[in-house]
Amino acid sequence: MSEVLVSELDFDLGEEYQNLCLDLPSVGAVVTFVGRVRDLNKGNEVATLELQHYPGMTETLIQDIIDQAKQRWSIERARVIHRVGKLEPSDQIVFVGVASTHRGDAFSAAEFIMDYLKTQATFWKKESSENQSQWLEMRETDLAAAERWKK
Amino acid sequence: MVKAATGKVVTLAMVRVLLFGRLGDLHSDDRINIELGSEVQTAADVRNQLSNEFPSLGKALAEPQTLIAVNQKIVDANHQLSIGDELAFLPPVTGG
Repeated sequence: MSEVLVSELDFDLGEEYQNLCLDLPSVGAVVTFVGRVRDLNKGNEVATLELQHYPGMTETLIQDIIDQAKQRWSIERARVIHRVGKLEPSDQIVFVGVASTHRGDAFSAAEFIMDYLKTQATFWKKESSENQSQWLEMRETDLAAAERWKK
Repeated sequence: MVKAATGKVVTLAMVRVLLFGRLGDLHSDDRINIELGSEVQTAADVRNQLSNEFPSLGKALAEPQTLIAVNQKIVDANHQLSIGDELAFLPPVTGG
């Protein structure tokens, strides 16, 4: 199974968890993260969220982030799913899963992958409420979160 | 390649320009074909040409946080373009 999937389709957390540890008896720790669409963003009521990406480049960039994580931590298996297209509040947007021998590596790697994905992978969100729509801006807090791994 | 009126096939020295995120809303189409020539050889030249024709798009393309990719790899603005290249302008990303 490929480590990176960009898709309009939803994913099943249970299924992804099973796949992360399938036939890997050495795995003692699995960390999974799911990002969801919030109903409020900076006080605006969100009706829909449209996710655009750069097909090809996005998958390459995410794979590169996973490969960097594998160089920093001991990882048995990793998987990233990112949805694109039209989403609504409470929909799942992103999945990051890391399986390792011990929990420390899995926790750190999952957080690293998520922080880098937010600031480097070529996705763009357009948020629409009842009477307006706007492209979102990158958050300073996301930049700071990615920056701390460089120390 | 296009077929000219004479039936002869001619190759145009085109690059394909892609505009992502809010940049796509600043032009009628988020895909533009631009012809290379003596005045248009680098990514910066393409940016200048677009700026002349579409000032508000040009302003956004010139922002320092707008990244340039050629054939899906990040490059700097003086990257030399070749026929058939795919040149993308990328505003700050907001995935996750």
